[in-house]
Amino acid sequence: MRLASRISSLLLAALPLSLPCAADAAAPPGGTIAYVITNMSWALQATPEAKECPQGINDGNREQFKKLFPDTGAPRNLVDTQLRREIDGFHPTTSPDLFPFSEGQGPTAPGMDLDGVAGPEDFSSPEGEAGIDNQMQRAIGCIANYRGPDGPIRFFEDEMVLRENYNRIVVELSGVDSLTDDPDVDVRIFRGRDKVLVDAGGLKALPGGTQRMDLRWGANYLREIKGRIAGGVLLTEPVDLLYPWDVFYFPSDQYMFGARLRLALTPTEAKGLIAGYADIETWYLHMVKNWSTHHQSYGRSSAPSIYKAMRRLADAQPDPKTGANRAISGALEVKFTQVQLLPPDPAELADALARRYTGVPYRGTPAPRSAREESDIVAGKTAAPAGLVSR
Amino acid sequence: MMRDSLAGLALLFACAGAAAAGSGKEAWIPEPMPTGFRVELTVIDGPVFADTKGHTLYRWPFKVMRNGITGDPRGESNCGSEPARLSGGLMSPYPPGLLMPELDTRPACTDVWPPALAADAAKDVGRWSIITRKDGRRQWAIDGAALYTSVLDQRPGDLIASDAGNHRGDLPAMRDPVGPVTDLPPGFAVISTHRGRVLRNERGFSVYARDAGRHGAASCDAACTRIWQPVPAPASARARGDWKVLVRDSGELQWSFRGQPLYLYLPDPRPRAQDGTDEPGWHLVYVQQAPPVPAEFTVQPTTGGLVVADANGRTIYTYACGDDAPDQLGCDHPTQTQVYRLALCGAGSAERCLKNFPYVPADRGARASGLWSVVSINPLTGRFAAAGDPGAQKVWAYRDRPVYTYAGDERPGDINADNYGELRAQRQGYNAIWLRNDFTREEG
Repeated sequence: MRLASRISSLLLAALPLSLPCAADAAAPPGGTIAYVITNMSWALQATPEAKECPQGINDGNREQFKKLFPDTGAPRNLVDTQLRREIDGFHPTTSPDLFPFSEGQGPTAPGMDLDGVAGPEDFSSPEGEAGIDNQMQRAIGCIANYRGPDGPIRFFEDEMVLRENYNRIVVELSGVDSLTDDPDVDVRIFRGRDKVLVDAGGLKALPGGTQRMDLRWGANYLREIKGRIAGGVLLTEPVDLLYPWDVFYFPSDQYMFGARLRLALTPTEAKGLIAGYADIETWYLHMVKNWSTHHQSYGRSSAPSIYKAMRRLADAQPDPKTGANRAISGALEVKFTQVQLLPPDPAELADALARRYTGVPYRGTPAPRSAREESDIVAGKTAAPAGLVSR
Repeated sequence: MMRDSLAGLALLFACAGAAAAGSGKEAWIPEPMPTGFRVELTVIDGPVFADTKGHTLYRWPFKVMRNGITGDPRGESNCGSEPARLSGGLMSPYPPGLLMPELDTRPACTDVWPPALAADAAKDVGRWSIITRKDGRRQWAIDGAALYTSVLDQRPGDLIASDAGNHRGDLPAMRDPVGPVTDLPPGFAVISTHRGRVLRNERGFSVYARDAGRHGAASCDAACTRIWQPVPAPASARARGDWKVLVRDSGELQWSFRGQPLYLYLPDPRPRAQDGTDEPGWHLVYVQQAPPVPAEFTVQPTTGGLVVADANGRTIYTYACGDDAPDQLGCDHPTQTQVYRLALCGAGSAERCLKNFPYVPADRGARASGLWSVVSINPLTGRFAAAGDPGAQKVWAYRDRPVYTYAGDERPGDINADNYGELRAQRQGYNAIWLRNDFTREEG
């Protein structure tokens, strides 16, 4: 559809919103309402006293480097120190961690019961719901970078959600008879194309903005699922979800198996959780590309230690060959604000649905380093790193 | 609807004539230069100054790094003739003082960046001056910045050593080519992209023109101008070289370039956007277009825009690297150390590198195009192959450096190895070749 006609369509579509609010705010105009994401962070229990981290907050790259390669006055060469650490980050293995790792402990963690079972590894939610599956709490819950309210990576990744168009996740509900209760609604998740309407300060999202669907570059993000609304809360059926999470304008995605949305709805906002099983290799690729050793050091995280912890704590998607789990349970805390959607061109939408790829986007380093190889380097059995001339 | 205006009200340009005007090449404003020095027109980076042999001249701007500053201060050269043995620790979080790799063969800064030396009788001219190096030799400078050539540049117009002025935050302290001022009216800028030297307005927004012969130059009527804003020319503007001033029916003045009336696309959401090219019949305006990518390559859509890919649709990646010694030498060319690349792509194993990041093989009939060439590589060392090397492979290169695909990309449009490396691949790592990126701040 050409732009001019799209603008006309938008103006027509926006007319109902320009009228005084209807008496029954529970039924959105035309049975349709859409929300654009404004905030997203991993859902972690993080008390001010760090009670959930009885072993303390983890060391990060900077601390680990000092312990591995102390400055004794003897010459240290770059290959065996700096490059070895970069190799550990970009070629992680499941060999035992050289350093103690503090896992987030229970009994409380936010999230959802993904498997319907209250197992020994499960948490209870802050609201008292049992059976919460959130192994991510154990993997990154005691890493300062990810802890709320202001862990550096947590802060920046959340800020990028609002700032960068790449991350413009939109949820559209249609067939909605009531925002309070409706047993059958259609849910479409996709990427929008436009900036979020914000106040004069630039950081507070406002409802009533406009979004167009990104059907050209964003087809792979497109999902169409069913949901129900009960007590003003939307709950969707599970779906394998690719979602964009660009950081500082470097394109990057993450992938969650069996993702389900649980969002408290109002006519102007939606907030709650997206819970499921994060694909570890995709998550890790996002992390190690976007957050370098330098950035990890802002908030004491260590990529090699995180990888080992995630693989150790993984609880879903067993590899058919090895049986090792490839995904880890967790949840995203999300906030959305209401937007008016410009209707997509039906042909463009059909084309996007036909050519989208919905599978896992990344399966890990194609020729990985073995755990044995890393262990041999650690034990001094192999010159580190293999094949490189130290000086 | 509009007509050429031959009667400008005042001179907007300097009095010097513009070189290369009317040739389809980028024009520049001539200026006084040292005897024998000249201007070379490069493939995609515009005009540059060159020495008497045609070698491109570079400066080394001061740069504030994460943990310090390096580069040349005004009127001085920090590029020394002794190899740097220790790391500078300029890039957090690693400490300074680490022994650099391959010290027995590590070059000195001046081995890689020979100073542009001035003859004994040479004198200052225009912006050009002569500084005295620490060893007493005289070196040319421009605007006070010491000048060098690069051992990587072989032919006139080569810019092998350049990153084309890319100064993203965590890049090494790069050397920049220096050149004359592009001959443009005020209010315009020219930016280097992989497609060529593209025209922008002073705020960075793309400038467009309509395809020739399709609608006629004067056919952007009132309805058209709702989304296509004629680029206004000031009342003092006058025709010059490739540039003309048109008078619209409304009386407004509008710039045209090489016979094309110029427009802005009002829906473009941000600087650098090129959404207007999605409208049939409209295109970006280049003052000089890059030669096309090799014919066997493809262009693939991704989640962010368009990238260059091989014949099978696999994204092609360049590898860039700068070390962390105080002299910030390159480590990405086949004549330079390969330890950083081998660490990143294969944890030190060349064989593993070849599986993860295979070279892009060049067929027997492959033909070079612009900055794309075919080089002979020893795949196990990453160095140029010696004559008669039985293991040599012919592979594609960009700016004289081999390019790669990533085995972790399984489908056309996958970009899993984009920004893959230290500090988002700005220090060392792999980057896709973006022809269009609708989401980045960087140039595509």
